[in-house]
Amino acid sequence: MMSRTHTNDETKIALHEVVAEMYDKIVKGEAPTMTLPVRTKTNIAFDDKLGVYKYGKKRSTRDATSLGSAKQLLRALHVVEFIEEMIDAGKSSTLREMYYISEAWGLGKFGSQNESNNLAEDLEVVTKCLREDFKLRPEEDGARMIGNLTLRERNRRGEWMRINARDDVGDSGYGVPYNVELEKIELLEHDIKFIMAIETGGMFDRLIENGFDEDFNCGLLHLKGQPARSTRRILKRMSEEWDLPVVVFLDGDPWSFRIFASIAYGAIKTAHISEYLATPSATYLGITADDIMAYDLPNDDLSPRDVEALKAELSDPRFADPWWQEQINMMLELGKKAEQQSLAKYGLDFVTDTYLPEKLAELGLA
Amino acid sequence: MSGTAERMAKNQKQVAISEFFEKNKHFLGFDSLTRSLITAVKEAVDNSLDACEEARILPKIRVQITKIDDKKNIIELKSEDNGPGIPQRSIEKVFGQLLFGSRFHAIRQSRGQQGIGITGVVMYSQLTTGRKTHVRSKIATEASAAIVDIGLDTRKNKATKSNESREIWENPDGSFKEHGLEVTTRMKAKYQKGRQSVYQYLRMTSIVNPHADITFIDPEGETHHWPRVTERLPTKVESIKPHPHGIHLGTLQRMCTESTDSRMTVFLRNNFSGMSTRAAKELLEVAEISEKAKPKSLKPEQYRALLEAFQGERTLNNKPVKLLNPPTNCLSPIEELLIKKGLSKTIDSRFVTTMTRSPTVTQGNPYQVEVGLIFGDGMLADKPVEVLRFANRVPLMYQQGGCLLTKAIESVDWRQYGLDQAGGRGVPKGPAAILVHLASTNVQFTSEAKEALADNSEVLDETRKALLEMGRGLRKHLEKKKKMAKTQEKFELVNDIIPAIAEKSAQILGRPVPELAGSITKIMSAVIAEEETVWNKETKKTDVSITLFNYTSRARSYTLLASWPERDGAVMENNNTGGRKEATGVWAWKLDTLEPGQTYVIKYTLSGLEKGDWTDTDVFFRGSQDVIGATKMDEKLLEEIRRQEAVGTSKEEESSDESDDVEPLAEPEVPPPTGQQTLFGGGE
Ligand SMILES: Nc1ncnc2c1ncn2[C@@H]1O[C@H](COP(=O)(O)OP(=O)(O)OP(=O)(O)O)[C@@H](O)[C@H]1O
Ligand SMILES: [Mg+2]
Repeated sequence: MMSRTHTNDETKIALHEVVAEMYDKIVKGEAPTMTLPVRTKTNIAFDDKLGVYKYGKKRSTRDATSLGSAKQLLRALHVVEFIEEMIDAGKSSTLREMYYISEAWGLGKFGSQNESNNLAEDLEVVTKCLREDFKLRPEEDGARMIGNLTLRERNRRGEWMRINARDDVGDSGYGVPYNVELEKIELLEHDIKFIMAIETGGMFDRLIENGFDEDFNCGLLHLKGQPARSTRRILKRMSEEWDLPVVVFLDGDPWSFRIFASIAYGAIKTAHISEYLATPSATYLGITADDIMAYDLPNDDLSPRDVEALKAELSDPRFADPWWQEQINMMLELGKKAEQQSLAKYGLDFVTDTYLPEKLAELGLA
Repeated sequence: MSGTAERMAKNQKQVAISEFFEKNKHFLGFDSLTRSLITAVKEAVDNSLDACEEARILPKIRVQITKIDDKKNIIELKSEDNGPGIPQRSIEKVFGQLLFGSRFHAIRQSRGQQGIGITGVVMYSQLTTGRKTHVRSKIATEASAAIVDIGLDTRKNKATKSNESREIWENPDGSFKEHGLEVTTRMKAKYQKGRQSVYQYLRMTSIVNPHADITFIDPEGETHHWPRVTERLPTKVESIKPHPHGIHLGTLQRMCTESTDSRMTVFLRNNFSGMSTRAAKELLEVAEISEKAKPKSLKPEQYRALLEAFQGERTLNNKPVKLLNPPTNCLSPIEELLIKKGLSKTIDSRFVTTMTRSPTVTQGNPYQVEVGLIFGDGMLADKPVEVLRFANRVPLMYQQGGCLLTKAIESVDWRQYGLDQAGGRGVPKGPAAILVHLASTNVQFTSEAKEALADNSEVLDETRKALLEMGRGLRKHLEKKKKMAKTQEKFELVNDIIPAIAEKSAQILGRPVPELAGSITKIMSAVIAEEETVWNKETKKTDVSITLFNYTSRARSYTLLASWPERDGAVMENNNTGGRKEATGVWAWKLDTLEPGQTYVIKYTLSGLEKGDWTDTDVFFRGSQDVIGATKMDEKLLEEIRRQEAVGTSKEEESSDESDDVEPLAEPEVPPPTGQQTLFGGGE
């Protein structure tokens, strides 16, 4: 099991390189710069060794010749200083807290929370460190999990707690913390055959109420829409450390396709750490475009934005394989999308009695 | 017998007029409770402004509105002016008789035109409250003021009066009123705020009457004051004789029958403008009327023939008889500078651009279009611009959509000038107000309510041209603003951000703060001019400073030039960097070589201007490398300015020589009117 964490000194050195790039440019009488990989779909490529999508070789230089990018550089410097202070003081902060702290940075303050999140990511990308190394926590709350699996979590007092995600939790399941690295969580044992990741809370609760996890011997993970890093990370760890198949059960629309891609292949925004977050063995279970027809599901027309998203996916390297091309084209032709919960058209038990067993059988999981 | 019949017929005609208006009071602007109040204020204030203008008095007007009975919607309007007043014996005719006006037959620009206005107010008051209107009038030659309550007998079109007496008119401060008029009247009406309100009407009035001082006390007791911003009265307007192109058959007939002239040639020369002796002879020739014919004894078919000759329907050698244009000194435009002042006093904003077109003629009637645009902060950006329409300095507040002036605005593609406009048509959106003023001897409205101007393609075209020209001014301003914002950004970049980056990076790395000059030159790689034109409150002068920064790696040399309002009488002071006059309104400084990183500052002061007269200095340069914030001098343009100067001076000399010419005001020939008579139909 790889560990991506850097020591405090390694982190500082990496950050100083970023600062030195700017400083040296000024000494040379040039505009200060920050060089970083291009973070769009045009610059992600499949890494054969890692089996995930990573940033390619395209680099962009942010130089201080315009007010906007000069301010970015100044902000980056403030963030570096702030991280160093936290490392030295043994503290950490949330990204949101950093955004508010930036109020005191004068010209270097952030215009929006989004800006501060992006900059933290930029620094990760350039330094190859993780935000955990920077002592920055996300605001996002992690997912919920239920099933017969046991793990150890170190609580605030530093004590290890043994938790079974079926017997030691209430109906809402086990809450995944934002840090799921080894120092915080150890996976102990399980008695499940696969893990199912689910997009909506409504469906997650439906499966729990119907006892699906016990009937089918599986772990259920609620993604909460676009899954947080920790959600993707724990999914990957379980899949690798326990060697478990992962199936993904989402709505049938272009946005769900993207959620799946970020789980299985790596997200565009975090392609620098894809090998650490992505679960290449994950399978898309549904709702597929042909499910909409095969099960005659209640549906909605694709909006212009949906159509645009689907078209963009056609040229996204992560969807380049024939199965995805077919699914995307089929949805475009149908002009329809459907939600997970549209299965309730045939009754509350239809999803657990018919749909999922049929879909899982195709994969040899039921 | 026949005498009685005639008298009866005459009476009937008058009865018909009064009753007609009683039944059609909406034509007069009394169709709703809120509008009635605005109309009443309008009639009173228009009259005050007209009277003051005629008497060459700087108007001071006070309007007060009080709610008398909220439930029954009874309101009292008191309107006072410092005009010449009305002699006691005329009061009852002015206020109690329809169609009694001093301007009825005069052809020149004035607000009131029909002699209906104030009598309509008296009538409306009487109809809705049963009360008479109280008038107080003081003329300069009498010691006391006349007071009287006026009502009217609509069947006889005659005034009814009561409580007539005289009193001493004291001002609130105890002094005696020298002259003026005060009207107090009660009516059923509603006071409202907003776009169509008394407040808005007075505000608009103050914009186009910068010489007036207007005070308004609203029903809540709040006082609104629009001060006078110029001591200059509108230019005195002259009455002119009718032009043959604008005459109607009836008028022509009346003029002939009332004429005592002995022969037609004399009649034509004496009674029409634009008429040379040659034109008179030719007109009579094509109308087949003897030059010696007596006007009084012309036959009906001869009137018609003469009118056809006027209109160019009868021709000489297949050409209409050529006529001169009527003189245009009968118009009183507000003029650009005063529009600017008027707009900036009521709307707090930075940029104003105006355009007054030269007077021109349509169908025998002189007219002139003026437009103004105020742009900037403090106004809503996502709403249609405010349209301020005026005819002969009278605000038009209703029927915006059906008005020629609005149509002209809608016909312009404002997108090219930097305003939002869906599809390039319609009233544009943006933080702006557009003013359009039409001055004319004969403004033709779509209805008696005098709220919208009727279509006339020539006037529409003229208005469009004015708007387009003004639009170019707006675009120039917006472009300059954009450029300045960009320059401002660059300054922030090199003055604030780069030093901060240098300092912070040095601090993090524990190294010395690096020298910045190299990076800054690299980043800017430009020569930049910064101009500031500001009103100095203390000295009451306009301070101008121009700074030139050389942010390139080479030495540069330039001549800088700046525009200044020399023509408007400004004087340049404290210009310590010298320079010389390049042309009228253009000053030039030849600068020493600017080394890399060096700056040069030019400073001077302009006196003889008022606040808001000069807010933007155009900076030009001569030199090889471009200067951000300045325009490369167009030498051809400069030559053109110089040439015009030369022509201008020689023209002035010429014209003073021929000042005693017979018809100095007449202008080049105009073609006869085409098609139907619309906006400037002339006549009765
Ligand atoms: N405030 C005033 N001061 C002096 N004279 C006045 C005043 N108000 C009205 N008059 C005189 O009374 C006349 C009649 O006024 P009235 O408003 O009835 O008609 P008008 O202004 O000529 O035309 P319109 O119908 O367009 O208003 C005016 O022409 C003017 O001579
Ligand atoms: Mg009037």
